[in-house]
Amino acid sequence: MFHAASNIAAKVNEAFIFVTAACVVLLVAVTITMIFFLFRYNRKKNPVPSDIRENTPLEILWTVVPTILVLGMFYFGWVNFGYIRNPPRDAIEIGVIGRQWSWAFTYANGKQSDVLNVPVGRPVELVLTSADVIHSFFIPAYRVKEDCVPGMKTHMWFTANELGTYDIFCTEYCGLAHSHMRSTLNVMQVGDFENWYEAEAAAPGAEGLKLLQSKGCLGCHTTDGTKKVGPTFKGLYDSMVTVITNGKERTIRADEEYIRRSVLDPGADVVKGYPNIMPTLPVTGKELDEIVEYLDRLK
Amino acid sequence: MEDTMADESFYREKGFRSWIMSTDHKRIGIQYLGALLSFFSIGVLLGLLIRLNLIAPGLIIGQEAYNQVFSTHGIIMIFLFIIPGIPVAFGNFFLPIMIGARDVAFPRLNRFTWWLYLTGAAIVALSLFIAGGPPDTGWTFYAPYSIRTSANVGLAVFGVFILGFSSILTGINFVTTIHRLRAPGMTWFRLPLFVWTLYATGWVQLLATPVLAITLVFIILGRVFGVGFFDPSRGGDPILYEHLFWTYSHPAVYIMVLPAMGVISEVVPVFARKAIFGYKAVAYSALAIAGVGYFVWGHHMFTSGMSDTARVIFSFISFLVAVPSGIKIFNWVATLYKGSIDMKPPMIFALSFIFLFSIGGLTGLIIGSLAPNLQLHGTYFIVAHFHYVMFGGAGFAILAGLHYWFPKMFGKMYKERPARIGWLILFIGFNLLYFSMFILGYEGMPRRYFDYPPKYFFWHLVSTIGSWILAVGLAIIAWNLIRAVFRGEKAPMDPWGGRTLEWQIPSPPPSENFGEIPVISGEKD
Amino acid sequence: MQVVEEKRDYTKAKYGMWFFLFTEMLFFGGMFILYSIYRSKYPHDFHLGASQENLLYGSINTAVLLTSSLALAVAVLAVRKGRYRFSIFLQAATVLMGGIFLVIKYLEWSEKISRGIYPNSPVLLRMDVGEIIFFGLYYVMTGIHGLHVFIGMIVISFMVYFTATGDITSENYSKMENTGLYWHFVDIVWIYLFPLFYLIT
Ligand code: HEA
Ligand code: HEA
Ligand code: HEC
Ligand code: CUA
Ligand SMILES: [Cu+2]
Repeated sequence: MFHAASNIAAKVNEAFIFVTAACVVLLVAVTITMIFFLFRYNRKKNPVPSDIRENTPLEILWTVVPTILVLGMFYFGWVNFGYIRNPPRDAIEIGVIGRQWSWAFTYANGKQSDVLNVPVGRPVELVLTSADVIHSFFIPAYRVKEDCVPGMKTHMWFTANELGTYDIFCTEYCGLAHSHMRSTLNVMQVGDFENWYEAEAAAPGAEGLKLLQSKGCLGCHTTDGTKKVGPTFKGLYDSMVTVITNGKERTIRADEEYIRRSVLDPGADVVKGYPNIMPTLPVTGKELDEIVEYLDRLK
Repeated sequence: MEDTMADESFYREKGFRSWIMSTDHKRIGIQYLGALLSFFSIGVLLGLLIRLNLIAPGLIIGQEAYNQVFSTHGIIMIFLFIIPGIPVAFGNFFLPIMIGARDVAFPRLNRFTWWLYLTGAAIVALSLFIAGGPPDTGWTFYAPYSIRTSANVGLAVFGVFILGFSSILTGINFVTTIHRLRAPGMTWFRLPLFVWTLYATGWVQLLATPVLAITLVFIILGRVFGVGFFDPSRGGDPILYEHLFWTYSHPAVYIMVLPAMGVISEVVPVFARKAIFGYKAVAYSALAIAGVGYFVWGHHMFTSGMSDTARVIFSFISFLVAVPSGIKIFNWVATLYKGSIDMKPPMIFALSFIFLFSIGGLTGLIIGSLAPNLQLHGTYFIVAHFHYVMFGGAGFAILAGLHYWFPKMFGKMYKERPARIGWLILFIGFNLLYFSMFILGYEGMPRRYFDYPPKYFFWHLVSTIGSWILAVGLAIIAWNLIRAVFRGEKAPMDPWGGRTLEWQIPSPPPSENFGEIPVISGEKD
Repeated sequence: MQVVEEKRDYTKAKYGMWFFLFTEMLFFGGMFILYSIYRSKYPHDFHLGASQENLLYGSINTAVLLTSSLALAVAVLAVRKGRYRFSIFLQAATVLMGGIFLVIKYLEWSEKISRGIYPNSPVLLRMDVGEIIFFGLYYVMTGIHGLHVFIGMIVISFMVYFTATGDITSENYSKMENTGLYWHFVDIVWIYLFPLFYLIT
């Protein structure tokens, strides 16, 4: 339960355990006393109350002691905070962009990914921002989170203690698919990480898939036929789709031109049964060619 | 109900109009209570719907619907139920009586706030039904999302704005009343503690609510005219919105809980057959909470990207707030010492308040400390915390107050056994429902999630089952009280042996409360 | 507020009014905070923005509002002294000046709008973000202040009526007094707005 998968988690656990322990003690103390009085002084046992109104020393006591206590608690929450907030110089820097509703990670050499791959045992600094509304980047196992605020850079850091894959959640409400704005953290052997980091795009068309990931399309679309926020891409190409074009319903062939239009001007024709919420994302002509080619291959 | 009413009672005048137009603080109080509990019941149903969805995401309601449901749930519970809550219902009814006055300072203004409240509520309700759909922003309306979403946020926000205005005017009315209308001899330190908390609350309403008002105006202007105060692409700063919002909304949580503490401070001594222990300490701590509570809002923003120094300062002050709250708890417990305790229903609810609020408050300290907040912010741990304080705290205080003042308000007695049974079920259900959320939160389950990884299922299930148990308990309690309004036998003037003024006059009280204004003298009992 | 108070206890009504003004202060306070934060963030753009304001209009309005405030103050005195007709005249004058203030505001706004400067306008969106904020604040703050002026005019008109019908007398003038307080408050807010938008060039 208090297992520390990262250096940060260890620090947070320390603080959590202390503060919580203090609170439990207080709660138990208050409750026990209360219950004891209830039995000792209930109407049957003690029909005539004795008139006790105040006791200044007591008041002072339970003002001063708690004050000291809370200061102690504050201190424990705070000691490690400096450490948690200040990444070491040699940390690997990774850019994180949150957008409705997907994560994009950018590495120093421009490599992009929709899962976060990091080497074990090396400090990693994340520089976070958002493309639209406020999101929050949360790794439960590592006990850290920080908001991604549009027009601003925030940061957090950690050193992975062990190999494994962990959940990444968005914990700031960001609209419809907030609860599906998840990703995965892969902690790899340093060697494996290096290889992945250096590796170039392999299979033909993979370029398109990479784009779909990095642009965040896969935040709303899938390539496996399941529908997410938007329709799936599988079998889309050249299929017949029913769309609403400025109010009127019509069925058209999802040819190249249609797909380009859907991407460049999502509002133009909105697929029946879906909300018109697809954002216009920055896609260059060349990138779009790649995407179209990939979708064509996907059918 | 009329026939059984004592004839000189303020119910004497009959007819719809005599009610809705009356400026009698007691009638206004009763009407507020009615409205509150109706909205509350809606909120409860939405809450149950949330729980239902969370054991089978997507089965009953879809993703969009879920977002709208929890937002509406939050908006109703906060702005329509728990913030006006105790002051407008019990405050209106008992404040003038307790200080020996015939009415509040501005009776017509009082009636006006009631109309404002209804208008606000109506507008919020409207936003649920017209095209665009209910707000889907959460009750916090965070920009820039709240400015971009296509839902009826503008309308809902405007409704909340009206509600805020109503709340401000009530605050002004109460503070003025307490300053000007105290009966001869009713010195500040003879005031019942409930009045003290209303006074502190009034000030918080005066000081904090206008900030919310202007913030909401900014949201509306942002949506309607594209004024981008919080929109980075237009030079705005989203974090600034968070600051403005919480500058109101943290003090607001003390608007919710201070009057609740007042109720407890009335109930505990009466059923312990003693004067409250450390009267002055309890009175001052109310002011302390109100004062310090104004400077801790930043603890909602520890991960918002605000500067680290600011985080440290806000955390520090948040811990200080715990001390006055602690003082109250300790004095209540001390009041029991060598008392002669009678476990009547009001007392049971009051004591559960002490226990549940302590849990809620103490977990508040856990999330108030910097490092743990990084883990717990935005998770169900928070949801658990605020349900413990708002509903385990304020909510149970309302129940305590209802059972305590019911005889005075309606002139009838309710049955005690059903009340006890109802309490037991409610209490068990409550802890199943919300304690499991602490565990979920600790394990990282984010809030406002429509869907979640399977590993969280078990505790969600427990929580949902809890919500059903709890609803049953509430139903029993509500049924018991409603039944009593019509069938309960007549209540004596002072069924509990209360000391405060409202127990010196008939139940229900006559129209002008007192034949002639009483003169208070000597000891406060 | 004063409209609903019970006749006799003046202090009570005054308390109420002061508390109300207090909340109004915080309400505008929110806007002033926003202003100061953004100004420190975009000093240069604010400078630019202010230089595009029409100082003449601004100054005239300041004069008008100050005079109206004075007039109303005297009007209150007049009621006390029992010189009702004179008071009515002054109150009417105050309402009139309020009107003039709004007309000038209207001219000022429409001139800007004709230049294409208004929230969300293409022209504005092409400017630096700082200026977008500046003009945003300009419209919002002067707008909300204008609204207060308008409300004030309505309330004072009621006072004219009450004075005429003898509802307000030299014994019972707390309505009148509190209206005065409110109008002075509106005036003071403008005294702050004026330099913030017109003089910081
Ligand atoms: C009735 C409402 C209410 C009350 C009274 C409180 C009381 C407190 N709250 Fe809570 N809070 C909320 C309602 C409330 N809160 C809500 C609604 C939210 C969520 C908003 C949202 O995001 O939607 C929230 C969120 C919230 C957060 C933000 C979490 C996050 O989002 O990251 C924090 C962080 O510090 C916090 C802290 C506190 C503290 C320190 C207190 C203190 O005042 C508690 C003081 C009480 C005690 C300490 C217990 C009693 C004392 C004793 C038993 C004596 C012994 C103890 C000592 C002396 C230490 N609250
Ligand atoms: C007073 C405030 C209040 C109350 C009473 C409740 C009551 C309930 N709440 Fe909720 N809740 C909020 C305020 C409240 N809530 C807020 C502010 C949020 C945040 C929304 C957001 O994220 O924006 C929230 C969010 C919230 C969530 C998180 C949603 C999410 O993040 O995805 C959940 C999940 O289970 C939940 C559940 C419930 C349930 C099952 C109930 C109830 O159904 C349980 C039944 C309630 C009772 C039995 C009440 C007890 C009695 C009284 C209060 C006195 C009245 C007396 C009589 C009627 C006689 N609530
Ligand atoms: C915010 C969620 C979201 C993102 C991100 C998103 N889309 Fe969409 N997309 C939708 C929705 C919803 C629809 C269906 C409604 C419509 O047609 O506008 C859609 C429709 C489409 C269609 C038409 C599909 C059909 O069945 O006719 C294409 C093609 C498409 N998107 C491509 C993309 C590409 C390429 C990207 C990335 C550059 C992308 N989308 C990013 C939500 C999204
Ligand atoms: Cu992104 Cu929630
Ligand atoms: Cu808070």
